[in-house]
Amino acid sequence: MRWIGACLVTVGCTGLGQHMAQQWRLRLKALELLRQMIYFLKGEIVYGHTALGEALERVGKRCRRAEGERGFKELPLFFLSVAERIRRQEGEAFFVIWKEELDKACGLPLMEEDLASLQDLGKHLGYLDLDMQERQLLLYLEQLDGQIGYLRMHLKERTKLYTSLGVMGGLFLTVAML
Amino acid sequence: MDQMEQVVRIFPQKLRAMLMEAGTLRVQAEELRLRTGQPLLMKAGGEEWYLEGDRKGWKKAGGLKKSSPCYRVTEEDIRDTLEYMSRYSLYAFDREVRQGFLTIPGGHRVGVAGQAVLEEGKVKTLQNISFLDVRVAREIFGCADRILPWLYEGGQVCSALVISPPGCGKTTLLRDMIRQVSDGWWDKEQGGAVKGVTVGVVDERSELGACWQGRPQNDLGARTDVLDGCPKAEGIMMLIRSMSPQVVAVDEIGGREDLDAIRYGKNCGCKLLATVHGCSLEDIKKKPVLREMVEEGVFERSIVLESRGRPGQVREVLDRDGHCLQR
Repeated sequence: MRWIGACLVTVGCTGLGQHMAQQWRLRLKALELLRQMIYFLKGEIVYGHTALGEALERVGKRCRRAEGERGFKELPLFFLSVAERIRRQEGEAFFVIWKEELDKACGLPLMEEDLASLQDLGKHLGYLDLDMQERQLLLYLEQLDGQIGYLRMHLKERTKLYTSLGVMGGLFLTVAML
Repeated sequence: MDQMEQVVRIFPQKLRAMLMEAGTLRVQAEELRLRTGQPLLMKAGGEEWYLEGDRKGWKKAGGLKKSSPCYRVTEEDIRDTLEYMSRYSLYAFDREVRQGFLTIPGGHRVGVAGQAVLEEGKVKTLQNISFLDVRVAREIFGCADRILPWLYEGGQVCSALVISPPGCGKTTLLRDMIRQVSDGWWDKEQGGAVKGVTVGVVDERSELGACWQGRPQNDLGARTDVLDGCPKAEGIMMLIRSMSPQVVAVDEIGGREDLDAIRYGKNCGCKLLATVHGCSLEDIKKKPVLREMVEEGVFERSIVLESRGRPGQVREVLDRDGHCLQR
């Protein structure tokens, strides 16, 4: 019985380490997808002069198709749900729609800081002229680039660290308990 | 969704609730006017009405005084309405704002006025927009019935110019002319069907077709191709080259470049249906470019409208030489 318990503790801790390493990878992947979507959105707005609702819908649909069944559907779905709320014409301010839909978008592997800056983007979208839109999107893309660069730079090191910490932690606990 | 519902839905929540409470959906309004610090006015049935402050109903504006308890439009109302009606995308309507209007779903036109920002002597944009004029567009099927027989000669469509002061229904009339010319119609006098022909519409302000994502929301007929949001002169050339229409229709002509494009169309054998601001043919002849068009005989028919209490009333139909065919 004692050995079974020891095995379970080791496996559990290893799993926890693996999970944390996976979260790092998923966050990186989600931010990369978000960056791609913002690039598409910028293209729709700046070059196509497309209205925000239509631009979000087009980008959402395109990325949902590209991601397929196994990919991240949450971000494209978030864009699509904002577009749908705009289409419904309920008379709310854009930021209210953006914030509410972002709050509803559960399952995004993003940290609070990522969500906060994505939420901030909604404060300025649609406001003023085309130059302003482009600047806001570029500013956000710059932030994303910084975040993605950091995650990528530490990807190997962190995944290794979390995995080995999980295994070592499990072994340590097992030894301590035995 | 009827026209009034479409119009009320362009307002943000606060104004929308007030308009609904005042029973605006039941009124056949022609126009709603919002001016910062001033009462919210509505034109309906040839009368002007203001929105009451307390009872939230419409009252005739004849007796409106400074002290009258009316709802006064705030700066936020205008800003929120503008943001909302542009679907949070004022940047996408840059060109329209520069021209002083936006066209919203349904083909309704919202005139805007404020402070002009100039760049090299030209209007770059408008800022501090404080005045909005929402004009309700209506599809009136059959409003062109009376003039259709005059629009044909020897079984062929004639080029026609609809002359009308603002707000007398020239766009509504043109829309119905396009639809019937495109679909074909039943000539009661001759007792026979008139075949439909291919019509190309250059809808610079999206008022004729009220296109949404390229698809007309108004019925312009089965044989109609619409070039939406394109400048008239360029659009006429493009349509003739690409869609080979038998009839080209445009709203509110007047520029030198329009004349050149119309000449090009005429030389290609196309017939033209167009509208212009004015009170009479004589009025039109006072404008240099339009005078040239009339003198060249580009238009075989001139249809003069007037507003006798309600829009869309035909005063007279004139032939190429200015002789009255119908009064």
